[in-house]
Amino acid sequence: MTKPIIEVKNLAKEFDGNPVLKDITEQVNPGQVIVVIGPSGSGKSTFLRCLNLLETPTSGQVAFDGQDLTTLDTKRVNELREQMGMVFQGFNLFPNMSVLENIKLAPMKVKGVSDADATKRAHELLQQVNLDDHADAFPSSLSGGQKQRVAIARALAMDPKVMLFDEPTSALDPEMVGEVLNVMQDLATQGMTMVVVTHEMGFAKSVADRIWFMADGYIQENSTPDDFFAHPQTERAQDFLSKILM
Amino acid sequence: MIKKICLGLLLSCALLMGLSLTTPTVHAATDHSLTTVQKKGTLVMGTAPDYPPYEFETTIHGKTQVVGMDVAVGQKIAKDLGVKLVIKSMSFDSLLVALQTGKVDMVISGMNPTPARRKNVAFTHTYYQGGYSIVINKSDQGRYHDKDSFKGQNLGAQTGTTLYNESKRQTTNTTIKGMTTISNLVLALQSHKVAGVAMEKPSAKAYVANNKQLVMIPSHFNLSAADTSTAVAFKKGSTALVTAANQSVDQIKHQDLINKNYLPAAGQYLKTNTVNTSMWHYWKAFLTGVKYTLIITVCAVFFGFILGVLLALLRLGHGSLLQTAGRWLATAYVEFIRGTPMMVQVMFVYFGLGLIVNLPALTSGIIAIALNSGAYVAEYIRGGINSVDAGQTEAARSLGLSRTAALRYVILPQALQNIWPSLGNEFITLIKDSSIVSIIGVSELIYQSNIVRSDTYRGVAPIVVIMVLYFILTFTASRLLNHFEKKWQHA
Repeated sequence: MTKPIIEVKNLAKEFDGNPVLKDITEQVNPGQVIVVIGPSGSGKSTFLRCLNLLETPTSGQVAFDGQDLTTLDTKRVNELREQMGMVFQGFNLFPNMSVLENIKLAPMKVKGVSDADATKRAHELLQQVNLDDHADAFPSSLSGGQKQRVAIARALAMDPKVMLFDEPTSALDPEMVGEVLNVMQDLATQGMTMVVVTHEMGFAKSVADRIWFMADGYIQENSTPDDFFAHPQTERAQDFLSKILM
Repeated sequence: MIKKICLGLLLSCALLMGLSLTTPTVHAATDHSLTTVQKKGTLVMGTAPDYPPYEFETTIHGKTQVVGMDVAVGQKIAKDLGVKLVIKSMSFDSLLVALQTGKVDMVISGMNPTPARRKNVAFTHTYYQGGYSIVINKSDQGRYHDKDSFKGQNLGAQTGTTLYNESKRQTTNTTIKGMTTISNLVLALQSHKVAGVAMEKPSAKAYVANNKQLVMIPSHFNLSAADTSTAVAFKKGSTALVTAANQSVDQIKHQDLINKNYLPAAGQYLKTNTVNTSMWHYWKAFLTGVKYTLIITVCAVFFGFILGVLLALLRLGHGSLLQTAGRWLATAYVEFIRGTPMMVQVMFVYFGLGLIVNLPALTSGIIAIALNSGAYVAEYIRGGINSVDAGQTEAARSLGLSRTAALRYVILPQALQNIWPSLGNEFITLIKDSSIVSIIGVSELIYQSNIVRSDTYRGVAPIVVIMVLYFILTFTASRLLNHFEKKWQHA
C-alpha cells in the first residue's frame, strides 16, 4: 500500500460564520489525478486553497507528505507550499516581469538556484509548454491560453510533488481551452500528482483517476470516472449531471 | 523581520512622544555659563543679518559673511573672553527661542531690552542708543511728516520687533503691516503696498543712502530709553557671562567705539556692496541656494521614502497584538503629520528637539521634511499596495515565497509602478516646499534670495531669478521622472 501524499481529515472552513466546507475526509495517492467537480458555490475552490493553506481551515487537518500543515509554523508551511504548485483561474502572472523572469523568480529567491541554472530550467519548461519563443515577452502581450501555459511552467519550476489547478480554463476563450488541457494531460501522463477543479467533463472523463463530486460543503461521491458518469449514486450528482450533459 | 521593524518603529515612536513631553529642566543652583563658554572655546552669536548697518551679509573674497556693527560688538566680547566668535544666522523671530534652547550663547541683533523680553532672557548694559525713523518713497515727500500722517494708510514694520508693537500702539487709524525682513518691507514700500516703513535710524540711513527713490522722515514715536537702546541678550540665569560681557559693553560705550569704529567700518561694506548689483554678480549665492535646496530635497525624499514604506507596512499589518499596536501608531503618526503645518514641524524639530540634542539647522530641516514627507509617501504606498491584485500575493505565496519575499519581489515593485506619478509629484512638491527651512537659517534658495535682496536693495530681480531657478529644477525633475515612467511601462 502506498502512503498518501495528501490526507485531509474532518476539514471544515467557515467565512464569517458561513460554513463553506463542512466535514471533508479524503486522501490523494502519489501519481493520482483527482478531478473535483460540482455546482458553482459548492466550495471546490475553497477546498483546493485549503490544501496549500492559502485559506486557513477553521478546523480539521490537512497533511502533506505525512505532516499536518495546520500545526506547522509559517516557515515550514512556506517550505511545504513550494512542493505544491498552483495554477489559478486568473493566471496571476507577474505583469512587471518577462515570461522568463516569472518562471525564474521563485527558484532563485526561494531555493537559491543560480541565474544560469534557473534560466536553463525555465527554457526547458517553456519548451514543454510550447512557448520558448515567447521567453522575453511580457504577460500583457500574451493570449489567455499562452498566459495559463506560462503559469503552469512557472509552477513546475519549483519541481512540485503535486499540482493544484483551480479552474484553469474557465477564463479562457473556447479556442484556447484545448492547448491548456493538452499541457495538463501531458503532465498527467508523466505521472504528476494532480488535483484539478474544473468544469471540463471531457478532461475529467479521459484523464482523471478519481472523480470527487462536491456539493453543499461535502464530497458527496468519490469514484472512478466511468462509475461516476455512468452510475451517479447520489441525487445531487444525478441532478448535476443531467443539467450539464443534457 | 517585520516584527523587528515593528518593534524598532514602536520604540522610536515612544521616544518621540517622550521627547515631546519632556519639559526643559531649569538649572538654577549654580551658574556655569562663563566656564562652559570658556571651556568650549567658542561663543555662538545669533543674529538676523538683514538689518544694515547693524548686521547684514556681504561677499568678501567670494565668501558670504555676516558683517555690521553688532558683529563688531560680538567680536569684542568674544575677544575679551578669550574665545572665538561663531555667528549663526536666523530670522529675528527665532532668535530668542534659539537662545533659550541653547542653539546660541548670545543674541546681538539690534535688540531692545524691553521689560517683556527681560522676563525671558538676561540683557547686558545697552551698547547703543539709537532711534527710529520712517522711510518713505521720494514721490510722497511732503505728504508724510511723521508717524501720525499715515491715517488710513499702511505702515510697515518688522515682526517680532519692539518697533512693530509700538507702531501698533502709538498710531491711530493706521494699519501696521508686519513682515519678517526689512528688505521685504522696503520692497513693499517701492511697490506701494505700504506707504512707509518704520525702522531703526541707522538702517534708515543705509537704505536712503543706497536708494535714490527713498527718503527718511522723523518718526516721533514716544519711546523710553529701553525701547530705543540695544543690548546683548544671554540665557536667563547666566549671570557670570553677563557680568563678563558688561565689561566689554562698558568699554564700547566709554570709548564710543560704535560711532568711531564700528559704524564707519560697516558703512564701508555697504558702499562696496552696492557697486555691482547685477544678479550675475551673485551667481555663487544662488548656486549655494540651488545646492542646499537639492541636498535637502534629495535627502528628505530618500529618508521620507524609507519611512513611508515602513509606515505603510505597519498600517497594513493585522493579526497579532503587536501588529495592531503598530497599525494604530502608524495611523496616528500619519494623521498627526498631515494635520499640522510643515512650518511648525520644522520649528519643532529645530527648537523642540534642540532641548535634548543640538542638531544643526540643515540636519533639522532634512529630518523635519523627511518626517513630513514620510507620512504622505506612506499613504501613496499603502494605496499602491492595495491596488495590486490579491491574486499576485496568492501566486507568489503558492510558489513558496514568504510574506516578506512576496512583498519585496512581487507586490512592492508593482505598487511603486502604480504610484510612480504620485511619488514624482511629491518629489516636485518637496523641491518647492523645502523653502520652508529658510526660517531656521538654512541657506537654500529662498534664504539666499533674501540675502541677495537685502544686499543689493533690489526687490524684484532676485525673486525672478529664483522663480526661474525653481522652475528649471522642477521641470528637469518632472522630465526625468517621465523618462523613467515610460521605461517601466510593460503592463
